[in-house]
This record gives sequence, structure tokens and C-alpha cells, in this order.
Amino acid sequence: MSFLRIENLSKTYIAVQALKGVSFEVQRGHTHALVGENGAGKSTLIKILSGAERADSGRIWMDGKPYHPHNPKDALDANVSTIYQIFNLMPDRSIMHNMLVGKEPHRGGVLDIQTMRQETHRVLEALNASHLKPEMTVGLLKVGEKQIIEIAKALLNQSQLMIMDEPTSALNQTEVDALFKTIALLKERGVTILYVSHRLEEIFQIADSITVLRDGTHISTRPIHEVTRDSLVEDMIGRKLSSVFPPRAPSNPDAEEVMRVENLSVGRVLHTISFNLRKGEVLAVAGLSGSGKTELGKALYGDLRLSAGKITLKGQPYRPSPWKAIHRQLICLPEDRKADGVIQGLPIRRNITLSVLKQISTAGFLNLKKERQLAGEQIQALEIKTPHMDQEVSNLSGGNQQKVALAKCLAVHPEIFILMEPTQGIDVGVKFEIYQFIADQTTQGRSVLLISSELPEILGLSHRVLVMHEGRIVAELDTSTTTQEEILRYALGEELTITDVRSNKIHE
Amino acid sequence: MSILALDNRQDLQRRVINIVGEQGFIVIFALWALYLTLNTDNFATTNNAFTVLRQAAVIGIVAIGAHFIILLGDIDLSSAATLTLCGVIMAKLMVQEDYAPLLAGIVTIGVGVLIGLINGLIITGMKINSIITTLGTSSVLGGLALRQTSGKTIAGDQIDAIEFLSRERLLNNNIPLPVIIMFVLYLAAFIILRRTRFGAHVFAVGNNARAAWLSGINTNLVKVMAYMLAGGLSAFGGIMQVARQGTATGTMGGDFLFPILTAVVLGGASLSGGRGKVFNTLIAAIFLTTITNGMVLLGYDINTQRIVSGGILIVALSLDRVRTLLL
Repeated sequence: MSFLRIENLSKTYIAVQALKGVSFEVQRGHTHALVGENGAGKSTLIKILSGAERADSGRIWMDGKPYHPHNPKDALDANVSTIYQIFNLMPDRSIMHNMLVGKEPHRGGVLDIQTMRQETHRVLEALNASHLKPEMTVGLLKVGEKQIIEIAKALLNQSQLMIMDEPTSALNQTEVDALFKTIALLKERGVTILYVSHRLEEIFQIADSITVLRDGTHISTRPIHEVTRDSLVEDMIGRKLSSVFPPRAPSNPDAEEVMRVENLSVGRVLHTISFNLRKGEVLAVAGLSGSGKTELGKALYGDLRLSAGKITLKGQPYRPSPWKAIHRQLICLPEDRKADGVIQGLPIRRNITLSVLKQISTAGFLNLKKERQLAGEQIQALEIKTPHMDQEVSNLSGGNQQKVALAKCLAVHPEIFILMEPTQGIDVGVKFEIYQFIADQTTQGRSVLLISSELPEILGLSHRVLVMHEGRIVAELDTSTTTQEEILRYALGEELTITDVRSNKIHE
Repeated sequence: MSILALDNRQDLQRRVINIVGEQGFIVIFALWALYLTLNTDNFATTNNAFTVLRQAAVIGIVAIGAHFIILLGDIDLSSAATLTLCGVIMAKLMVQEDYAPLLAGIVTIGVGVLIGLINGLIITGMKINSIITTLGTSSVLGGLALRQTSGKTIAGDQIDAIEFLSRERLLNNNIPLPVIIMFVLYLAAFIILRRTRFGAHVFAVGNNARAAWLSGINTNLVKVMAYMLAGGLSAFGGIMQVARQGTATGTMGGDFLFPILTAVVLGGASLSGGRGKVFNTLIAAIFLTTITNGMVLLGYDINTQRIVSGGILIVALSLDRVRTLLL
């Protein structure tokens, strides 16, 4: 019998139907993956299950009993815990104080430290984490360890269902491995886990079954052995993989060099980086998180101070800073769209023109007519969906915000784009448009440095790939002859032999 | 169809909340004015209206500078001390050094701009929080003003030469000059904020300094310029105040900081920066003056006035909070 049964669940936010009659079942003790592109309805479903939101209609049964939490406390009382990407821990308190917060054992109001220590230790031991001592201060722990504490806390609360929302997004490989061992231990104890992740490799590694949502509807629920990576991706995006990437401009090794980087170093994060970028080329930078690929993009735009190295743009020396970059027709699309890419409180039109206000003003006075015209052109070119260009950017969806950020880049008429994670957290439709954008720009002779964590995107769009590991470029690969496996091998550091399941699955 | 209707209703709701949050003080203002009209003989007279506006002029002018600083997400606590020191300098230059009024005025405003430059350089260059920095400079400037005057009042016939700044009436001898100056400066501030590159940069930096910097804006320069503008306006406020009193003392701006900052906040400018309407600051400055004026007409003393002004500020801040909570 199924442990969790969801029947015909619907939820509408203003003008957006986030869940449209979703039904599926989760077996007891299973690690059940929940996947889907952004906007598929995963977060809404999690919010409903954890009591943060209420469904408009539909029913949920847990362990045969109706389960309709009105608030997070109801969920906790029903032994459902949610482990979020951002932890709800008190950094200045010890592990035991964190784990037992609100239900500290006491004798007549005096804390029973002895029992607290024992309880905490017992749970940590059960999770094979006895290297974490109950007295340790939480703020000093590593991210992965904090996550273990969150899970331990849930276990201490005797959770029957644990919802994990992108639990590995901030973890390095060792921490991910530790987490997976913890999940295996939870499984032994019969805990059911609803596991939400963008990382399909992980899902093949730990999930027993998998549910795909798309645009708020339920697409499929299947045992993991019936699913392949390709079938999964096709379920998620609703079309054949072959049509995802637009044809790319042919690679031309004789094309003019537009950027040359020599022996660039930044403190302890980048070491003697050298490469060149040619006109009309998409040069991808791959690497795991912490490899330095983000820092490379920031350093080239002046967002990190260089400690050594030389950069030339079209043969002329360049010292990175945003305004010099823009002046030299180099533009960067920041990784953190919401915080850095756009200014939320400003209207769309002003966001688009922000970097080129000089061009639309005379003697310091803005020509608002020119501004509207310029913004209007970009809104049309990028098909930004908005009723009005005076709308604040904060009113737009993530994908449209990213388009505004791109429009802002485009407004400076750049020759070189540094695109940092351009499709991160963006729904499928807009993703295609951004791929098309990249292809169009390079066809017109512009160059793109594509910094991305998405290997399929790198293989589908780039001409060459630089692979980074621990702050160095460890390989330069020709995209037409490389594979995800090869890139990943370099990204993990060559000395590692890849035996874990993830790499095999990638290439099935 | 139904979704669209829902959208519109949501939109309307947002707009109402925004208006109550940003302009709710105007409703309170109107109620207060109505109350005074009904309960006093003199409030609703042209004469009293101009008295209020004239009283509002100094605070209103300095509040323009405070408005720019708050738009940037900073707070300038040194505006009243700058006003005092510059008032003292103006009076001393005229009375003791026999400077011509125009020259004295230029030097005084130069000092104010310099004070702003120093504030701006400390805040941007050393990355010290604006509250701490201007708290420090405020103390320094206040001390300098007291030392300059040695606790005495600076007075002299020479000051009569700038009396017109306070007394003159223009347009058929009707409207007091300080009122006209105030309105002109507000109009200029509005144009700067809405129609110039500098104004656009102020809004961008106040909304998100990092994103503005990544967009190629020299955010430090924008801040320093805003502090210089604020310093210059404080100095001009000092000159206006000297013209009004006919004297200068080392404590002449002592009570001004509160109404200056309150005017901006009451006008709906967000303390986290990036959001605010300069004409609302003007209306709020006038409102604050009517509180004092009305309390006098009603026969209350200065202590009660302070209590009421403070209460109004809290109410205004609550409205700002309500808006951010509801939207």
C-alpha cells in the first residue's frame, strides 16, 4: 500500500495555475524523486505538503489517513519534515541546542544537559556522524555537516516523511557522498523521502521511483529502472532532445582573436589561467562548483581583483572593471540574476538602458523618448512578456527577468558576452529562446564565453570547452569530439577514477 | 477573462496600499488641517498659510538634500550641524570680516559642499556606515560652530543686507521670497531626479548598489556627489536661517535634524533606498510645520509639540511597514 497518496491536487496563484489536478503515489520507505523544470509545480507541491501553503482542491492521504496541514506545525505534528536549501539553524548555538530547540529536556525548568547530550549523540551515531559532537557550535560547521544536523533534527522528531528540496545544491562531492550515505541509513529505518533535485545524475544514484511534473501537470510516475536519462529529460521538457539546441555557426579556427588572457591569477581561487576567444565563437567554461569558473567570469569583468595576469581585447590591454568593460564592448550577464542582473525596484525600461544612459542623454539630461524607443526595440527583439515597459522588473517571472538582463547587455552593443549560468532556474520555453539568442549572436560575429554548470548546454552550444578544476584550466576540449564523461573526468580531477554510478548514467 | 479581472483587482489593491503607504500622511495632514480650521480662528487665513510656508522653507530646503541621501539608502545625521556651522560662518564673514553678502554666501556654500565631500569620501572610501560617519562629523561640526561663536550670539547691521531672503515678497508683493526659493529648488530637485543621468544613477544605486556598479555606474562618485549636494543645501539653509533670525548662534540648528529627516520619511521615501517622491517630502515638511503652527494656535507648549511630532513619525514609519508587508 502506498504511504503517501496525492489525488487531484490543484493550486492557483494570481493568474497562474501552479498545480493542475496532480495525482500520484509514493511507496513507504522509498526515496521518491520529484523532478521538473522551473515552474513545473515542484515548489508549490512541497509547500502544500509542508504546510506552508494550502491547496485549492484535491486530497492527500498519508499512511491511510487524510493529511491536510494548515501550517508548518501541523506538518511537523504529522511527522513530516522539510529540509530546505537554506537551513533554519541557529549558528551561534551548539548542535544539541539546535536539535532539541523547543523541546529541551529539563528538570523543573533547569536544562538537563546530560540527557540533551545523550539524545543528540544517539541520533548522530545512528546517522554515522558521531564525529559531530553535541557541543560543537553550528556556525563553525561545513555546509554538508549543517545539512546532516537538519536531517538529524528531523530524525529526532521521528519524521516518517522527509522532503528534501535541492539538498545538494550547495554541497561539494564529498559532502554529497556523505549525504547519500545518510539517505541510505534513513531508508534502512523506513523513512520515506521525497527528493527534489535538478541534478538527474543524483536521482539515478539514489531514487527508487520518480515523478515528473511539467507546467503544473503530472506527466509520469515510474520505478527508476524503467527510466532512462533521455526519457526523463524528454518527459520534463515535453519534446525530443534533438530539437533542443539550435544549429551553431561553423567553427572557424582562423577567426580573429577578440580576447586573450595570459597567466591570470586571483588570490587562492584562480591560478595562471590562459586562453583566447575568437570572433563568432562560443567558448564554454565547465567545472564543478568551487572549481573557479564563476570567479573567472567575475575576474574578467572586474568583480574580483586580479593578483596577476594580462588581458587583451582585440590586441589592446584591458584592466577589468565594469565601466571599462562596457566601454570596450565586453559585457557580463551575472550569475545571480535577481540580485545582480537586474534592479528589481526600477522599471523595465530603465533596467534596459541603465548601462547606456550616456547615449540617451544630452548634457546630463535624459531623453525619455529615446529611452522608450531603445527599450521598446529590446523588448520586441527578446520577446519580453510584459503589459508595459514602465512595470517594475520585480513583477516579471524569472525567465522574463533574465531576458531583461540580457536586453540590458545587448543595449551596450557588445562584441563579447560573458554569460554566467544564463539558463539557471529558468523555465524550458525561455531556455530555448536563450539558446537561440546565443546562436544568433555568434552568427552575427559576436563571441560568447559561456560559463555553465549544465553539461548538455555546453555540448549543445559551444565550439570549445575549457574545463576547470581547483582554480586551474585542466583541459581544453573540442566540443565536436568530446563527451560529457570526458568533461566530467577532467572536472573531477584526472587522478580520480570514476566508478560511481552517476557518470555511467550520464551516457546511457 | 476571469484571470484578467483578478489581475486588475490585485493591481487596484496594490495601488491603494501604495497610496496609503506613500501618501497616507496627506490624509492625516488633511484631517489635521480640517481640525485646525474648525477649532482656531486664524489657521485658514492666507496670512497664516504664508507664515507656515515661510517657516517650512529652511527645513524644506535642507530636506531636499536629506531626500537624495535617503534615496541612496544612507542617512545624513550631519545636516543640522552643517546648517549651524555654515550659518555661523556666514554671519561671521559678514559681521566680522566685512565680506559682501554674495561673496560670503558663495564661501559658505563652498564650505557646505566641502563638508559633504568629506562625508562622501569617508563613507565611500573607507566604507564606513553613513550613520556612524555623519554622527561623527555632526559632533565635529557642532563643536566647531560652538567654538567659533564662543557661546555668544553673532549679530550686526551687516546681516540686514540678506534680510530680503526671508522678508521680501514677490509677485505683487504677495508671496514671500523664501517660499518661492523653496518651490524652485524642489522643482529643480524633481527635474534632477527624474530627468537627468545623475538622478537615474541615484535611484539605481539606492535600489541595488551592486547591480548598479555591475552596470558600469561609478557608484562611489554618485554617492559623493549626493553628499556634496546635501552639504551645499544645508549651507544654504543656514544662510536662510541667518537671514530669518538676523543673528547666528552655535546652537541655531539644534532642533532641525528631527524635522529634516522626518519630512523625508513621512513623505514616503523608503529608508532602504531607491524609492521616494521629492514633492511628498515637500508636503511633509509643510505638514510638520503646521503641527508646530497649529499647536501654537491651539495654545500648547513646545514640549507637547515634540511629543506629537514624534508620534507622527512613528505613525508614518508604520505606514511604510504596512506597505512592504502587504505588497
